Amino acid sequence: MTISRIVLIAAMTLIGIGLVGILTRRHLIRIALAFTLASTGLNILLVWTGYLEGRNAPIINAELDGLAVDQIVDPLPQALVLTAIVIGVAVSALFIVVGVLTSRVLGTADVRELRKLKW
Amino acid sequence: MVMIHEHILLGIASVGSLTMIVAAIWALIVRDLLAAIILVGFVSLTASVLFLLMNAPDVAITEASIGAGLSTLIFLWGRARIHES
Amino acid sequence: MRTVLAFAAALYVSLFITALFTDADISDLGPVARTYAQNGINDVGSANLVTAVIVTYRGLDTLGEVTVLFTASTAIILLLSLHAIARRASPASDIVSLTARVLPAPILLFGLYIIAHGHLSPGGGFPGGAVIASAALLVLLGCAGGVAFAHWLPLAESFAGLSFALLGFWGLLRMTQYLNNSVIPLGVPGNLISAGIIPLISTAIGVKVASELSAILAAFRAKGWEE
Repeated sequence: MTISRIVLIAAMTLIGIGLVGILTRRHLIRIALAFTLASTGLNILLVWTGYLEGRNAPIINAELDGLAVDQIVDPLPQALVLTAIVIGVAVSALFIVVGVLTSRVLGTADVRELRKLKW
Repeated sequence: MVMIHEHILLGIASVGSLTMIVAAIWALIVRDLLAAIILVGFVSLTASVLFLLMNAPDVAITEASIGAGLSTLIFLWGRARIHES
Repeated sequence: MRTVLAFAAALYVSLFITALFTDADISDLGPVARTYAQNGINDVGSANLVTAVIVTYRGLDTLGEVTVLFTASTAIILLLSLHAIARRASPASDIVSLTARVLPAPILLFGLYIIAHGHLSPGGGFPGGAVIASAALLVLLGCAGGVAFAHWLPLAESFAGLSFALLGFWGLLRMTQYLNNSVIPLGVPGNLISAGIIPLISTAIGVKVASELSAILAAFRAKGWEE
């Protein structure tokens, strides 16, 4: 049971919890919260793919003797997740704004009432 | 992070992952919306610790400041403005 | 519909169990990461490899991310301006107003430090911008006339985004490669003035992210319905 295995299980469980939340919750804000949970779990999973045991962060400083290739974790997934987190908060905010405006039109925050909006 | 004894790192990873999953399940189940929002902020905070354990310091700083700060505020704003008649 | 959901749930559970019992015995970097690790410090001159990947090696992806952030922020502010009315903010309590007088300046300084040292230590444009937006949030929450500074935020955001795109063209003109950072001499890795135009681009990204997130928060604070 290494760190790698623990983090993998935690990330996939978090994605599963987020997906179950999106599918089963009825309140608009709770669906947005579950979406944020799933997004966080996905970010952990992405960073996990670059993780190698016993290595250091991808910052080259003077104490790094030997080749950097043998001593750092993969910097590419970290770069992708860095932008993904910032995009995630912007999408979350847009979700909340559209949800609040929809609740003003419908009079309720229950998503089952959305079926009453006709074309 | 390789300066710290590896059993301590394993312990931090286990405890952090366990609290993260428990907080996530609890956030879905709890009846009060305010408690759910704060629990999601706590999940982001423990995710930031997991990022640090995986030797990703930039991602940890970003997740801590955005997930546990700005995202929680945005959800609190939404909860205050949602209209349920 | 239930059968589709049950099938998807079974698929997910099977993926989970496979991940549980797989022996992920990758013990070495892949070919792309190997190239970045070997040549990053000499080609780009940045000690922080993640910043080198974000700004130089995958700079076009960062440009796309900046576009996505701009679109989402514009959509939020547009929706709130059209469909909500201005509200008078309720006065803050004593603790919040005292904190908002003391803390925003150190937080702002810390955010600027994170941006400026993006190529030396963990950080860069994105975390620094988020920290500066936290300082702006404190000002919005605690000070009475806090939303007044939001008027020039769209100007700062557009200027920063435009300068990011134009700095790439400088690389195109001089080195025939968009976002090449050798247009300024690389210098010694580890100094504050090093790594070509990476500090300039990090500053542009930091200003853009900070002004966008602050504009979103100011729009939340200033718009409401009945209060």
